[in-house]
Amino acid sequence: MDHTELTKYILEKFPGKIELLDTGKAEPFFKISADFLLDFCRSIHSDEKLFIDFLCNIGAVDTGKKFEVVYSVASVKNHIRFDFKLEQEYEGAEIDSIQEIWAGANWHEREVWELYGINIRNHGNLTRFLLPDDWNQGFPMRKNWDAPDFVRMPEQ
Amino acid sequence: MGLIKKVPVYIEKFPGGGILTTSLDYVLSQSRASSLWYLLFGTACCAIELMATGASRYDFDRLGMIFRASPRQSDLIIAAGTITKKMSPRLRLLYDQMSQPRYVIAMGGCTVKGGPFYYDSYSVEKGIDHIVPVDVYIPGCPPRPESLLEGCLTLQKKIKKEKIADWS
Repeated sequence: MDHTELTKYILEKFPGKIELLDTGKAEPFFKISADFLLDFCRSIHSDEKLFIDFLCNIGAVDTGKKFEVVYSVASVKNHIRFDFKLEQEYEGAEIDSIQEIWAGANWHEREVWELYGINIRNHGNLTRFLLPDDWNQGFPMRKNWDAPDFVRMPEQ
Repeated sequence: MGLIKKVPVYIEKFPGGGILTTSLDYVLSQSRASSLWYLLFGTACCAIELMATGASRYDFDRLGMIFRASPRQSDLIIAAGTITKKMSPRLRLLYDQMSQPRYVIAMGGCTVKGGPFYYDSYSVEKGIDHIVPVDVYIPGCPPRPESLLEGCLTLQKKIKKEKIADWS
């Protein structure tokens, strides 16, 4: 399945629930809503033609207005990969854990929680991951984060 | 007897005897400066230059510097590489485990003032002098082996000036 076929297949499989974003790259990039996340992941995991068996990465972006959580997934068997993202409001950002589909999501979700403060529902082990255990200075990857010894790059 | 001719100020010969007298300050500081065993503490790319300096081309051994894997056997800690805030308690622990006299060389921009991670970094310690007292700073990113050798010679000069009266 090449990129065009893949895009067409996914758009037809989930009509109205998924949006294709224009990135200018060959690999498709979709946007889904946050409450559709678990169903979407279950479907692409169990679908015969897709068989997405590998979660490459979970990342988050602070756009200044909203959070975006970006998932990169791939199928080792079918040689396909694509990304999708969902948006979260700044206040009370919370997403579902997808560990039941891909267990490797555990660490990625801990990282997202620790650096951005996006809460993960049903995670089970939401503890400090990369930062020191006694960290008490908030969520450092947020755009408005500040700390006593934090120096911002001056405007060029 | 080459050494004796070189330092006549410090060493006197007794005629007909095998006894030398010298200043204890001189002997102690010379021997300390000439066998600085350093702790292997490489945390980033500076460690590559440290390894190159330790290898045969630049030959750290000729200064009497041999690497040790244990802080209890070391006199010197060469902090080679980025020290993150998570790493800094470990650096302090290793420093505390060393027996006195102990010396610290801050190698590379990261250990001097945060280096390339000075701006926009939440995780890097901006200079290890917040954690341990530093004797010699070596700038560079990473410093060449020549710089490191120069830094070690500077530290040796500093140690050779020490006197027993200064001990505390």
